[in-house]
Amino acid sequence: MKTRIKELRARYNLTQEDLARKVGVRRETIVFLEQGKYNPSLLLAHNVAKVLKTPIDELFIFS
Amino acid sequence: MIKIKQKKKALGKEQKRIVLAAIAGLIIIFTGILFFLWASAGGDIYENISIVAIALVIIALYLFVFHRARKDIREGYPHHDERSRRVMEKATSKAFFISLYMFLIMGFFSDDIIHFRDVSQATGVGVGIMGLLFVILWFYYNLREI
Repeated sequence: MKTRIKELRARYNLTQEDLARKVGVRRETIVFLEQGKYNPSLLLAHNVAKVLKTPIDELFIFS
Repeated sequence: MIKIKQKKKALGKEQKRIVLAAIAGLIIIFTGILFFLWASAGGDIYENISIVAIALVIIALYLFVFHRARKDIREGYPHHDERSRRVMEKATSKAFFISLYMFLIMGFFSDDIIHFRDVSQATGVGVGIMGLLFVILWFYYNLREI
């Protein structure tokens, strides 16, 4: 799985800490999400997509 | 996005958990003091030193986790989130299953190869290995893809 979280985070000028606080998770979770090393729950994926104003299927890419 | 009200509720729950953890910590520290008093009462000096060392390690570990939890709450992070819970679940379940086999092996070889002084030593060793297994597995799952 690949994600566009880092790219979109930079677009909205958010740090990993900012994004973690906005979606209610620890910073390490955002790090692992960006690296594609963690498969989030639907709720977390939805919250991240909402913060980054992007549809889920454009944010998480499954190859 | 999580609404501000829901976020405050979540943080309130986390603070309650911290308070409960503080109470558990006091019990652990009290147990550590009891261990120390028991060890200093007499007996084999190496065993006493190891008992005190184990108690100190447990207390130090607890204080570290408690301090980190308070820091997380102050900075606005949850102490546990879905990923950390998933890591914990995987580590505890694997450690449990491996421990079952370990106790079977200990029981099988306890008469011929492994000689324990008494039952308390055997259970202490078993529990210690279970704890070590859990820590190793926690680090393993925390670093890999889940």
